[in-house]
Amino acid sequence: MLQRLHSTSARLVLAVALAFLAAFLLLGAGVYSRVLASLDRDTREFVRSDAADLLALRRDAGARALLDEVDARSRDPDQDDLLYAVFDRDGRRMAGKPVPHLPRRNGWTSFRDASVADRPRVIARVVALDDGGRLLAGMRTRAEDGFLAAMQRAALLALVLAAACGLLVGWLTSRWVGAKLARLDDTARRIAGGELGLRVPADGSGDPFDRVGARLNAMLDRIDALVDGVRHATDHIAHDLRTPLARMRNRLEELRDAADVDTAGRDALDAALLESDRLLQTFAALLRLSRIEVQASTEAMPELDLGRIAADAVELYAPSAGAEGMRLLDRSTPAPMRGDADQLFQAVVNLLDNALRHAQAGGDVVVSTMADADGVVLEVADRGPGIAEADRSRVFDRFERLQPDRGTPGSGLGLSLVRAIVIRHGGRIELQDNRPGLRVLLRFPLAGGDQPPVSS
Amino acid sequence: MRVLIVEDDQQTAAYLRKALQEDGHAVDHAGNGRDGLFLASTESYDAVVLDRMLPGLDGLAVLRTLRGAGNTTPVLLLTALADVDHRVEGLRAGSDDYLAKPFAYAELSARLDGIVRRGAVPGTAPGRLEVADLTLDLERRDALRGGRRIALQPREFRLLEYLMRHKGRAVTRTMLLEAVWDYHFDPQTNVIDVHVSRLRQKIDQGFDRPLLHTVRGVGYRLGD
Repeated sequence: MLQRLHSTSARLVLAVALAFLAAFLLLGAGVYSRVLASLDRDTREFVRSDAADLLALRRDAGARALLDEVDARSRDPDQDDLLYAVFDRDGRRMAGKPVPHLPRRNGWTSFRDASVADRPRVIARVVALDDGGRLLAGMRTRAEDGFLAAMQRAALLALVLAAACGLLVGWLTSRWVGAKLARLDDTARRIAGGELGLRVPADGSGDPFDRVGARLNAMLDRIDALVDGVRHATDHIAHDLRTPLARMRNRLEELRDAADVDTAGRDALDAALLESDRLLQTFAALLRLSRIEVQASTEAMPELDLGRIAADAVELYAPSAGAEGMRLLDRSTPAPMRGDADQLFQAVVNLLDNALRHAQAGGDVVVSTMADADGVVLEVADRGPGIAEADRSRVFDRFERLQPDRGTPGSGLGLSLVRAIVIRHGGRIELQDNRPGLRVLLRFPLAGGDQPPVSS
Repeated sequence: MRVLIVEDDQQTAAYLRKALQEDGHAVDHAGNGRDGLFLASTESYDAVVLDRMLPGLDGLAVLRTLRGAGNTTPVLLLTALADVDHRVEGLRAGSDDYLAKPFAYAELSARLDGIVRRGAVPGTAPGRLEVADLTLDLERRDALRGGRRIALQPREFRLLEYLMRHKGRAVTRTMLLEAVWDYHFDPQTNVIDVHVSRLRQKIDQGFDRPLLHTVRGVGYRLGD
């Protein structure tokens, strides 16, 4: 879950950073174009009034004065960025600096000045003179371009900084959110693992996560109260219902052992005793099942060898199997894990019982255990009729018996108990086809190795 | 022997009292934990049958108080919950054995017998157990009957050892399973019977007098 969370927050960080950049680029482009336009307008204004001044000089002082003025200005090192030239009607330059390009038409023009090293942009205006000549007045926009270039550099730097800032802020945010969520996630995982008394730690900050935590805690308290109620009810049922049942059973026993009961009566009482014993057994199994289901996980449990437990169970059941014409084979190898030996033995015994009950006479029932990198596995394989794929999920339900007509003994709780025990030990059950027969696999995590962390 | 029953259910208590008295025991009864604790700590009993769920002071509290005061009277704890956790909890609190309700009187009687005689094994030489002409050498892991050596599997040896330690007394199937296999669980069938009948074949076949008897409704007994 946390992995998905991580990729979610990574996407979030990226999206925030991209949105940041897009907004910045849009804004930057707008400002840049406005500044560019404004600078151009200023330059044109200057060039226009400069040209107008020169035309006024020519009108007042004559054509020769214009040529002198243009030459003088062209020589002035202080006015290097200003460009002037006067051409006669044939396009020959009469005064001023050489111009790389003289447009045919009068009016505004713009070109690169190749006479200088960095080829600055020139904005120029060409006006007609009354003798058929033309005057070009222009200006290199070197200063403006420098300003724009500086602006571009600044913008680029700001862009990089903004991107870095965006990523950093996004990363910190996602880390913060991730840490808060991980706390919730970890608590939820451990509660699901059976530590039902655990609560989400509150940091008292009152932020939304803290509020969610408090709400979860309130919910857990409520569930706890309900579960407690159920548990108390079960305990009381156990006490209040089993006691009179036991009394009835004991009376039946007294009656059977009384001297004046004939054989028929004794048989009937024996049958009644058997029935009540079975009822009490079912009851005990149900209670046991509910208790195992609410027990905490196995973290504090001792290490044991599942192979040894399997071998013991096989040893216990092998003579019974032999009496029914079946062979019970022990293929166990050491399989260390943490757990409750009594419960695991019960699970194996229930599986053996089930296999022996359903396997055909003459078939082998093979019990094996092994340990690998992922954990330990116990397998019980029989040569019985097996279980159809469709029925496999429900054989572990309470009171589920797939062949009720066969009149096989059993409460229908044996496999439910197996499942409860396996779940309590953090394991899982697989049912496979043994071609023919059924193969039941119980898989448990390795001893000592805690559940692999969900997050990385 | 003298037995104290601490049990709030009057009918169970009456049933137990009657059955124990028929077996020749002297019986006192307390209907709640406070009275039970008082009787157990002031009187001298051979054994106490203590219900776990009692009004007022519960059975575990009574037991802990007794043991805390240095009282070592054997205690058999009764409960409606035959859970392993409860069993362990009961044993930790100082009970000598644990029996789930409902129980057959025979089971209770056998277990009561077991906890009272525990430690007082009626053996001969240490490391040797004898029942009639059957001898078990615990050090050499050897079984002899009438001078003939009997080959036993390790588990059969433990089974026979347990029966011999309880010679002349009935032991239940559950007691055998718990003592010999060392697991607390509910067998779904009488799986132990096959083991006992195998053992019986080995020690009784070819001899006039059978030693291993089936006790109807209870379990087994080793003896003449």
